[in-house]
Amino acid sequence: MSFFDTLFGRRERSSDVARERLLTVLVHDRVKLTPELLEQLKAELSAVIARYVPAADASGIEVTLLRGEASDHIKADIPLRRSSS
Amino acid sequence: MSRVITITSGKGGVGKTTSTANLGTALAMLGAKVAVVDADIGLRNLDVVMGLENRIVYDLVDVLEGRCRLRQALIKDKHFPDLCLLPAAQTRDKDAVSPDDMIALANQLRAEFDYVLIDSPAGIEGGFRNAIAGADEVMIVTTPEVSAVRDADRIIGLVEAFEKGHPRLVINRIKPKMVSRGEMMSIEDVLQILAIELIGVVPDDEQIVTATNRGEVAVLERSSRAGRSFTDIARRIAGEKVPFPALDEEPGMIERFFGMFGRRPRGSER
Repeated sequence: MSFFDTLFGRRERSSDVARERLLTVLVHDRVKLTPELLEQLKAELSAVIARYVPAADASGIEVTLLRGEASDHIKADIPLRRSSS
Repeated sequence: MSRVITITSGKGGVGKTTSTANLGTALAMLGAKVAVVDADIGLRNLDVVMGLENRIVYDLVDVLEGRCRLRQALIKDKHFPDLCLLPAAQTRDKDAVSPDDMIALANQLRAEFDYVLIDSPAGIEGGFRNAIAGADEVMIVTTPEVSAVRDADRIIGLVEAFEKGHPRLVINRIKPKMVSRGEMMSIEDVLQILAIELIGVVPDDEQIVTATNRGEVAVLERSSRAGRSFTDIARRIAGEKVPFPALDEEPGMIERFFGMFGRRPRGSER
């Protein structure tokens, strides 16, 4: 990446990209949540939510591990279907 | 009071063996009696890095299996008679050794040396467990790369699980110019992520390659920046308060000036 790319903000600095990728990988490593377990978690979570909120869209559920300032989080994002009536 | 220090990393190729050879030599230069132990059974390398490969008669497994006494397997360094290498076996695998063996060996070495530096194999399996079994302290070597730091994080967790105290970190092969251009993670980035005590930063230095080609170690070469960093780390291991110098790509004018006379001004050493 050239000086001008940085100057005009064309690309993020690769060291920042490295740090962000590393932080994400480490949250997963430290929590020991494998991709299989994550899928299982999503399936069970959407089943539970659907029992209470029928409009929950199980297929659209997204679970992410987030690194916070003081602590890490699991964030579940569950879209709701809009009733078309 | 002698100390057994294991040098490990998780990821291979980040400079464990080079660090062990240089720190062992630097500690010997400070006047200590030092044993360096190659715990990478089956893939021995510390001998070639130190240029002692032609002198090997017995190895670590020979000692453990009673084919020779410890003294017979220890190889004296070319430069420092108080520095000895215990080579790994080349024709065996890590299963020839157990953690209990390594504890017993470390205790035997402790009786004769001030420092015992154990060069760990890469990985988190048996070889690594053997290498840290006898350790009082652990030093972790990493480079400022995603893969190496990730593995270092894993190793830190394991070292703490094995109750080896808080490991200290060596950041190896940093390229200050790349860091200042934002193209390599900085010391601060790595420390923030790993959250352990830093014991030293070693700049990337071609002299490591040329010294290793010859079976010499960089700490013996005054002009080697990496060598000077290893000397600083050795002094910190010995308990001296050595300031962390700013990382510059080239030595400054004053340093070069003093370098011509074969010495450096106090307080600006790096």
